[in-house]
Amino acid sequence: MGERWPVNKQNVSNSQIIVGLEIGTSKVCVAVGEVSENQVVNIIGLGQAKSRGVRKGEIIDVALAEEDVRNAIVEAEQVADVEIRSVFLGVTGSHIRGFNNTGVHPVVSADREITTSDIQDVIKNAKAINLPTDHSVVHVIRQHFRVDGQDGVQNPEGMLGAKIEVDVHVVSGRYNRLQNPIRLVNGLHLEVDNISSCALASSLAILSPEQKELGTLVIDLGAGVTEYAVYSAGVIKHTGVLAVGGDHVSNDLAYGLKVPLARAEQLKIDHGSAVIDPEAGDREIDLSNDSLIPGRQVNLGHMQKIMSMRLQETFELIARDIGQAGLIEYLRAGVVLCGGGARIPHITRLAREVFNLPVAIGRASTVSGIKNALDEPEFATPVGLIKFGVFQSQANPRRAGFGRAIRRQVAALFGR
Amino acid sequence: MKNSTKPASNANPVIRLLGLGEAGVKLVETLAMIGPGGIETYSLDTDNRSLARCHQSQAFLLGQAIPCGLGTGGDSALARAAVESDSEQLAGIVRGADLVFIVAGMGGGTGTGAASFLANLAKEAGALVVGVAATPFDCEGIRRCNQASGGVRDLKQVADAVFHFPNQNVVLMEGANVSLHEALDIANRHLCEAVLGVSRMLLDSGMLNVSFGDLQAALRGRHSLGSVVHVDASGDDRAAAAVRKLLTHPAALGGEALQEASTLLVHLSGEDITMAEIVAVTDAIGSHVTKANLVVGASEPGSDGAGLQVTVVIAHTAKLAEPGQEQAKVHPDQTGQASGLGFSGSFSVPDTGSYLDLGKGAGGTSRGSFAYTPPAPTADALTPECREDLIRVAAKEEPNRKKRQKIVQEMLPLEIVSKGRFEKSEPTIHQGEDLDQPTYIRRGAVLN
Repeated sequence: MGERWPVNKQNVSNSQIIVGLEIGTSKVCVAVGEVSENQVVNIIGLGQAKSRGVRKGEIIDVALAEEDVRNAIVEAEQVADVEIRSVFLGVTGSHIRGFNNTGVHPVVSADREITTSDIQDVIKNAKAINLPTDHSVVHVIRQHFRVDGQDGVQNPEGMLGAKIEVDVHVVSGRYNRLQNPIRLVNGLHLEVDNISSCALASSLAILSPEQKELGTLVIDLGAGVTEYAVYSAGVIKHTGVLAVGGDHVSNDLAYGLKVPLARAEQLKIDHGSAVIDPEAGDREIDLSNDSLIPGRQVNLGHMQKIMSMRLQETFELIARDIGQAGLIEYLRAGVVLCGGGARIPHITRLAREVFNLPVAIGRASTVSGIKNALDEPEFATPVGLIKFGVFQSQANPRRAGFGRAIRRQVAALFGR
Repeated sequence: MKNSTKPASNANPVIRLLGLGEAGVKLVETLAMIGPGGIETYSLDTDNRSLARCHQSQAFLLGQAIPCGLGTGGDSALARAAVESDSEQLAGIVRGADLVFIVAGMGGGTGTGAASFLANLAKEAGALVVGVAATPFDCEGIRRCNQASGGVRDLKQVADAVFHFPNQNVVLMEGANVSLHEALDIANRHLCEAVLGVSRMLLDSGMLNVSFGDLQAALRGRHSLGSVVHVDASGDDRAAAAVRKLLTHPAALGGEALQEASTLLVHLSGEDITMAEIVAVTDAIGSHVTKANLVVGASEPGSDGAGLQVTVVIAHTAKLAEPGQEQAKVHPDQTGQASGLGFSGSFSVPDTGSYLDLGKGAGGTSRGSFAYTPPAPTADALTPECREDLIRVAAKEEPNRKKRQKIVQEMLPLEIVSKGRFEKSEPTIHQGEDLDQPTYIRRGAVLN
């Protein structure tokens, strides 16, 4: 890979720091990655803060969210012992949608050989998407080329053909709502290197190339939103966001069991289950310790029923969407779950029942570093953002702007 | 003091007591048992079963052809048809009576539907017609209550006066914890007292007599809601106790009913009544009365104890008939009496739910508008002035027909599911479903 783009000497000599920031509904999470000379990513720091200003993945209280982001950044800086200047930011929300588009370009040269400029032109055509005026593109991810109808061409450069087509997956979102977290981060005097949809980031973190090749569905069960991405034949085929998450489970429990929301949250963590245990039907959970009503009890069977129905519905909605996209047959490597929701007991069993596919909990296997950052499914997104950052910096080595060049010089002088 | 309208051979007026419907029959049976002699009692019902229990009174099955003795099942139109088919026999029953009490429990079929017809027959026979009506408890349902209100109103249009006792008053008097048996007992006792008080007043030979003529003058042609308050007290201070009971009696409405009365017949009965006692009672009543004509009577009791029994007949007028006109028609010898009562034309009573309020929906009761519309009165059941008023009211109402209060079918709101913490956030609508609402509710799962 490194052959195609000349590697910046500075990056080689000094290992590069890449930071992933996810402003989630339940927590703000910062992962600090160190990219060594040979492009191995090592997670050297993690920062977390409880998120208070976010609902359904989107900021509803800027001041609170800013404070939480600052706390998480400070913690990550302390753990990693670095100064964080720029971050790769994960964006999510119900406004984000993914779709596939195709660009066409006729090869005009006399010898019909496809050149780099032809490839650039066809990608440019694919990017020309008719979006609503308030939407902007987050990603355009190249899938496959087609040369004169020959499908599955990875790199058409040097091939002969009259017409070249390219399929791309486009992720777009509302401009203003994408800008909110960017502005917030900028307000903390941090640069945003790039933004990435959380679904993409998570899948980057936990999927191996084999899984991408075979076909995998990644579901990130967040607190505010559930995101999913489908990989097949090594490329991303489909993404989606469902503004339903763990918060909804807690809210359903609070409503159904008539307990305060915070207590419902705790109940979910302590006694939650994704499937209904037939023996739980008669069991009661005593709440008298922390309830004002003495002898307050909730029925475990009811609780599991409420939870199970919500989670099952979420999976069913995803399954329906993927079925409509015609991709359910391509998921030969099964389903991989990540996010905080992946910790719910028996969640894999429920997913297996809904999708009728092998289901696993995802682990950030493609990076090394702090053990708990990699084992926990809820850190998939920030770790994936680091990987995204690595790919980005490989693809577009930093164009040293004037200010950045000066800063880098100064930093080099002082041996940072 | 007063002369009787009857020939000397029959000193007492002929009083007939007609019980209609199940409640009426029961009351009449009771009254026949305990009442003073000289009252003829008849039980009329469409239900054989209820008549089978009659032993004291003469039973008469209404509508042998139509409900066939099976009752009307709350259908007042059926009762009306039944009673109309037997109108000849019924006319025979009321013929020759001076005073006809029509005792009926309103709200059911027979009492509600037949009472006004029977009253009309009695009226045609020349009797003074007094309706005694019980209306159901509020808890018996709005339909029954409305039907009862309609029945009372119908009866009032025809009868000279209606003594009306809502069973709900018992609850007000005794509190909600009273047992049903007790409550019915109290209600029945009040109705019986009304009848007994009036009949005793007329039949007891007294020192100061309240005669049938007084009653007739007070009630005839008024078509009003009257009431009878009957209290008894004993002991040293029996007059004061009686006054206290009188004013706290639910039918007296805390003295309000006395204020609105046009005529008050006060009858005291007891052994060795002193002048002071009479004065105490009449003064107490008089202090509440502004314009009414007060007629006082007193008598020695026949057999019952040493207590003082005070019966007050409160007669209202909704709208005064032309003074003396009707009396002159039927009983010429009462004209002097009636015109001497000093009614003024300007006298008006606050809305007591008179006939003229038909269609205004007020009804004068606390229940608001009636859902029950009585059958159109037959032309001969109306007095000429009543007819004129009706035409006038109808003419006034016509353009405003739309303004009448409509009965609106209330709708219960659908179950509102709180969205909890997502109340204010952008809803997650997926294919028309609001995913913020709990799944188990949307899918109709039941938590038992």
